[in-house]
Amino acid sequence: MTAVATTTRPARTGRVRIGNLLRRSAVFLFLILLMAYFASSSDRFFTTGNLINVAQQNASVIIVTVGMTLTLLTGGIDLSVGSVAALAGAISAGLIVRNGLPFELSAPLTLALGFGLGLVNGGLVVFGKLPPFIATLAMMGVARGLTLLYTEGRPISGLGDTYTFWGRGVVPVPLLGDVPAPVLVALAVVLVFAALLSATRFGLHIYAIGGGEETSRLAGVNVNRVKLLVYGLSGMLAALAGILLTARLFSAQPQVAVGLELQAIAAAVLGGVSLFGGVGNVWSAVVGGFLMGVLGNGMNLLRIASYQQQMIQGVVLVFAVTVDMYLKRLEGR
Amino acid sequence: MEQRPLLHMKSIHKSFPGVQALRDVDLIVYPGEIQALVGENGAGKSTLMKVLNGVYTPDSGQIFWQGEPVTIHSPHVAQAHGISMIHQELALIPYLDAAKNIYLGREPAGALPGMINWSKMYQDAEQQLAQLGLNISVRTPVRFFSIAQQQMIEVAKALSMNARLIVMDEPTSSLTDREVETLFEQMRALKARGVAIIFISHRLDEIFEICDRVTVLRDGELVGSHPISELEANDVIRMMVGRDVEQIYERPEKTISSEVVLEVRGLSRGAHIRDVSFALRKGEILGIAGLVGAGRTELAETIFGAHPASSGEILIDGQPVVIRRPSQAIRNGIGFVPEDRKREGLFLRMSVSANIVMVVLRRLLRGLPFIPWGKVGEVSRDFIDRLDIRTPSPEQRVRNLSGGNQQKVVIAKWLTLQPKVLILDEPTRGIDVGAKAEIYQLMHQLAANGVGILMISSDLLEVLGVSDRILVMRDGRIVGEFDPATATQDAIIARATGNDPAEMVSVRAGATS
Amino acid sequence: MIRKGSLSLLMILLLLMPFTTVVQGQDEGPFTIGLSISTLNNPFFVTLRDGAQAAADAAGVELVVLDSQDDPATEAANMEDLIAQGVDAILVNPTDSDAIVPSIEAANAAGIPVFTVDRGASGGEVVSHIASDNVAGGRLAGQFLCNALGGEGRVVELEGIAGTSAARDRGEGFNAYLSENCPGIEVVARQTANFNRAEGLTVFENILQAQPEIDGVFAHNDEMILGAIEAAEAAGREGIIFVGFDAIDDALAAVRDGRLAATVAQQPDRIGALGVLTAVSALGGQEVEATIPVDLQLITSENVPAE
Repeated sequence: MTAVATTTRPARTGRVRIGNLLRRSAVFLFLILLMAYFASSSDRFFTTGNLINVAQQNASVIIVTVGMTLTLLTGGIDLSVGSVAALAGAISAGLIVRNGLPFELSAPLTLALGFGLGLVNGGLVVFGKLPPFIATLAMMGVARGLTLLYTEGRPISGLGDTYTFWGRGVVPVPLLGDVPAPVLVALAVVLVFAALLSATRFGLHIYAIGGGEETSRLAGVNVNRVKLLVYGLSGMLAALAGILLTARLFSAQPQVAVGLELQAIAAAVLGGVSLFGGVGNVWSAVVGGFLMGVLGNGMNLLRIASYQQQMIQGVVLVFAVTVDMYLKRLEGR
Repeated sequence: MEQRPLLHMKSIHKSFPGVQALRDVDLIVYPGEIQALVGENGAGKSTLMKVLNGVYTPDSGQIFWQGEPVTIHSPHVAQAHGISMIHQELALIPYLDAAKNIYLGREPAGALPGMINWSKMYQDAEQQLAQLGLNISVRTPVRFFSIAQQQMIEVAKALSMNARLIVMDEPTSSLTDREVETLFEQMRALKARGVAIIFISHRLDEIFEICDRVTVLRDGELVGSHPISELEANDVIRMMVGRDVEQIYERPEKTISSEVVLEVRGLSRGAHIRDVSFALRKGEILGIAGLVGAGRTELAETIFGAHPASSGEILIDGQPVVIRRPSQAIRNGIGFVPEDRKREGLFLRMSVSANIVMVVLRRLLRGLPFIPWGKVGEVSRDFIDRLDIRTPSPEQRVRNLSGGNQQKVVIAKWLTLQPKVLILDEPTRGIDVGAKAEIYQLMHQLAANGVGILMISSDLLEVLGVSDRILVMRDGRIVGEFDPATATQDAIIARATGNDPAEMVSVRAGATS
Repeated sequence: MIRKGSLSLLMILLLLMPFTTVVQGQDEGPFTIGLSISTLNNPFFVTLRDGAQAAADAAGVELVVLDSQDDPATEAANMEDLIAQGVDAILVNPTDSDAIVPSIEAANAAGIPVFTVDRGASGGEVVSHIASDNVAGGRLAGQFLCNALGGEGRVVELEGIAGTSAARDRGEGFNAYLSENCPGIEVVARQTANFNRAEGLTVFENILQAQPEIDGVFAHNDEMILGAIEAAEAAGREGIIFVGFDAIDDALAAVRDGRLAATVAQQPDRIGALGVLTAVSALGGQEVEATIPVDLQLITSENVPAE
């Protein structure tokens, strides 16, 4: 049985590095170009005040995006983050206003609650074998309903200064000057999770699961535990974002953060995180989040009408992802 | 080599509901031995290997590892003993680099809990790969490497677990000839280090090149285990299928009519096909040989309209026809059984009957909006009987069928249209010997009924054994025509590679006939 | 390769160009007024915006409209952007009275006067609040339904988005009137249909199944009542008196057709216009009232404007 078959497969490590580099920095490059464009079109854009605005506006989105990146990396998704954020905001506020707890207690309790809800998501995925999309879609509805039930549809206000500090307060930082508290929180989250993903065994296992779940299991990775933890962390980060949003609005709003999950997914995808798992990192996801934020802010400053804004955001998302896929092809060649 | 066996699987029985998958099978492997495990699909090879790997628990029987009885109830236990599997579908994570893949789940601990000692991990990985003579970066994601290189990374992974026995399941199926050579060199090096290898392959030439011993399974039973030196290829085939090679390629007496059913004149498409002309007669099986990339598949796709020609003519029954889309080819009575049947020929998740009626559905509908299920069942049952497709029911999903039966489904799909021309691209790739013979018989039967068959194949035995006439392609051109009765494999290879001194004489011999 | 990538990236900027040309004329007029509006996905607020725009054009001031898309967080961002732009005054139609407070305080700190339209704010320094009184509107609806039913009957209340002040206030006014002045009316079902016509349809379909006898329906807005009317007509239920809120065009048509008994007319265009005019007056140094009520009107077949 002689097989007449030869093909030659060209070596291709040469172009890989450039491709990788470009791919990693594509969003960043795009962000810089966009900022340059806005700066040249509006003298208000490139002011410290406005840039701090942008950072502050996007702190919660970025925190949620970090959690979303984790779930996406495992090949999952977490649609419940917006609702969990709203529920966390309501409960953290309620514990203070209704139960008289201090913020120092209410905040950790709320984070624990977010982690718990995330674990429920994870449990449904890991043990219930539900597709993550469905499990977290259900949680999205449940958490939003619980929020409305708990708040009776009304905002909860009267949070006190300790709480609202985390929305609008500033912290003097050497060299940078006054930095809004939520920006510092977001920065801390990004640093911690970037390190978690790139340096720890847990991080490596997240990538491994997204790249091949069965392979990882056979290699001795505790897939179930990693996934549970990932959904737990996503829930906890959503709760953190909910607390920051509540602090920013001086009140817990039952209808806050509707669609936050989609913003986070868009940001992560813009940052090159694959919806199929295994590819992406926190940094570019954050840049993706920032990109969407800058786009919104810049368009506001340029007084682009709101209907057009939504269209442009859609176009930018499609365009950026297309460019990304193009670069991926270059890389793969 | 009389020493203590590394592995002795003794009297293994394993049954599944309705099937006795393994009956009293023995397998003995010595250190530093490369043992071929062969058998048709369903013969029990993979069940036996899954028992060895701890995926299945045997109903009865005992496994001795280095003389000690052991119980292997999971792949982890197998790994701990030093038994590693390299599956056909490689178990690497494409986005992670070689080092991460090799040490996944066994990362060296770093200074802090949960951290990884990266520098140790990369150094160890480099060392492992260097031992295999593999000079690649341990920091490049493995998807940038060739299949062959990825396989070696898997081997490195196995060795890093101190594997004493490595099972390779059809490792050469997607490798080029050169890569196969490299793999064999590595296998010999492993052998020299005392590592034993169980080599599963359908390719007898490879088995005879690399293996020390051949163990043959058939229908869940051990047929025999012999040193390679005592066997010939024909013996192995006989053990596998219970009959001879000659029987597989047995061809019926036939006379081919002089009526031309398909004629191609000056067909070209870019650099893929250049000025191809030939004629296919009713009831003829025309084999097309050539190297991969010679333009054979492209020619088939062009005739079928998947990629339209840039110039040239296609004639059916002497009438010129326009074929720029598959639907036009189908209307003109051409069927196409593609090389990659799982992706291009079948709807794997749909039933056998749905697959069979897929192209004839329009006719069954007669313009009505509702699918006539009764008629569908009738037609599909008819073809399941006629082609002897072995499926528990017409509603079985196609992906649960064996390769040979899947291929019959693809052929049945076209037969529903009673085609004049059937193009088969690598009709028996990945199909075991027994099923091959059935496919050949089916082809002969169709030819006897007047269908013109165009068969593209890289398997020269098949080309010589089945075709009535052979065309050889190179660089998009037809460079020769052979009569299978007189042609040899060497002559065809020489022509396909362009090393044939006789070429100048016969270069356009097959152009018109 | 890099060049190709950047080239593609540049293309998106070119793509944005046509949208941005409208922008170049900033700082032309004497004043720039920002209008942060809760949503432009609802005809009511679109009309309000149109009224404001018309008034701004007439007064020769520039109006910057930002859409909060019913999200308090987006609203906070929009407010910050308006402050960063340095507009002369901000008209805000809050998504929520509490959530807007920090943003108003930020505008106060930047020295930008703030006016609230339609929905008030529960804190911060607001120069003037221009709105129709939703509680009064709810009472108006309750009164009409009570009279139309002769003080007795079974009615259904379709509520707006839980947690919005419009839903709260209209419901509060409606229920307060009934409990104070019309004890013979029983509210047999009270469900939310989120200010949405499709939900109004499905929610009322369900209620029709559950309640064999319904005499009247009040919905917190016209979209929901129009959905409910479709549901009742489809089910062949007659003799139900429908009362809506907002007097949108479709509702007025329904009043003319006799399908809808009444709708409480807010005058969003006037709210918008008065908002701009009040802001202009205040910027011009004139004193303005702290509360500027905009007439509410019950529209029935008797006073419905012809097409």
